[in-house]
Amino acid sequence: MSATNEEISYWELIKNGILKENTIFKLALSLCPAIAVTNNLKNGVFMGAAVIFVQVMVNLTISAMRKFIHPRIRLPIFMLVISGWVTVVNLGMDAVVPDVYRSVGLYIQLIVAFASILARAEMFASKNTIMPSMFDGIGMGLGFMFALVTISFFRELIGKGMLWGIPIINAKPLLILVLPAGGFFAVGILMAAFNWMYAKYFSAGQHGSH
Amino acid sequence: MTGKDIIKITLNLVVIYLIGGLILAVVYAKSSPIRFKNNVIAEQKALKELIPEADKIEKLGDWEIHEKAAKYWVAKKGNDTIGYIVQSFGKGYSSYIKTLIAVDKDFRVQKVEILDEKETPGLGDEVETPAFKGQFKGKDLDHLKVLKTDTTEYIQAITGATISSRAVTEDAVANGVKFIREKIQGGGTAHVGH
Repeated sequence: MSATNEEISYWELIKNGILKENTIFKLALSLCPAIAVTNNLKNGVFMGAAVIFVQVMVNLTISAMRKFIHPRIRLPIFMLVISGWVTVVNLGMDAVVPDVYRSVGLYIQLIVAFASILARAEMFASKNTIMPSMFDGIGMGLGFMFALVTISFFRELIGKGMLWGIPIINAKPLLILVLPAGGFFAVGILMAAFNWMYAKYFSAGQHGSH
Repeated sequence: MTGKDIIKITLNLVVIYLIGGLILAVVYAKSSPIRFKNNVIAEQKALKELIPEADKIEKLGDWEIHEKAAKYWVAKKGNDTIGYIVQSFGKGYSSYIKTLIAVDKDFRVQKVEILDEKETPGLGDEVETPAFKGQFKGKDLDHLKVLKTDTTEYIQAITGATISSRAVTEDAVANGVKFIREKIQGGGTAHVGH
């Protein structure tokens, strides 16, 4: 990868994470948290922010150490690095935003098991230098946050008639959307909508990627 | 695998454990006093909010529920006892729900506060909403029961979160009220000296 190439590709890396390789809508990875935490907008936003932090820090750590890590034990080391940064977020959020931590704390700890984070460490950060890895982390994290925010926006609004805990419409049009079963519907419908729009507006001119 | 590999792997793990351990130790050391302080502030605030008219809230003692340590307090105005506060736990859907219960001197519930829970976000955690907690005011032990139908006489369950509603009502609050009533009425003489 030449220097000029890298400069152009930072923006492409971010776009890649949000659109082409969107963790949830495109790769269909980490669907478990996408359903579990997204029944209100606040959880979606803070969960997304925590994932961005962990993804960026993990990518930075792995890419910085990529020549030092022995290939045979790379996966255990990735897991150690991931759980280390997740613990940092966990302790930090508990101290700084205790109210939010009370509702998403349980799921923050689950970031350790997110397939998407391990996948980026293995597929990208372990093969690239620090800067591209950081932007890849930002892109993937933003894509994840974008998906969580979109899903939780619709689930809270339609399921409870509220946004960020504030009543918007004085009704609960479809309570099932805040229940786990409704989460599957919400994710499925939004995934279809995302892919429809993606095919219509973004994939023109690109070829052979799928 | 050669000897060189083994040395490199060992070195890998040692370095990563050391750096990781160091980072975690620093973060823990920095954050744990803040978390401790947050808990103390939350408890004091919650006690005051439970019985605002009390000018003194004194700790009476400790008790145990679900093998967890809990405390109880007496609220006084001047020299008169106006009520009691009991800390209690209820076994919920995915966590132990930590509550504070304020009762008047006839052991009717005045207010219930949820201090900590890890119930399902959006469902079980609605036990923290004023709409649910408000139902407890004026209820005595006989009326601390959860119904799934509309009720003002008893406690109405949260839609989709009957287990969490029961855990708060029939476990944490009912057991807390029962405990403090037996403690004060049963062993009443023990506290005369206060």
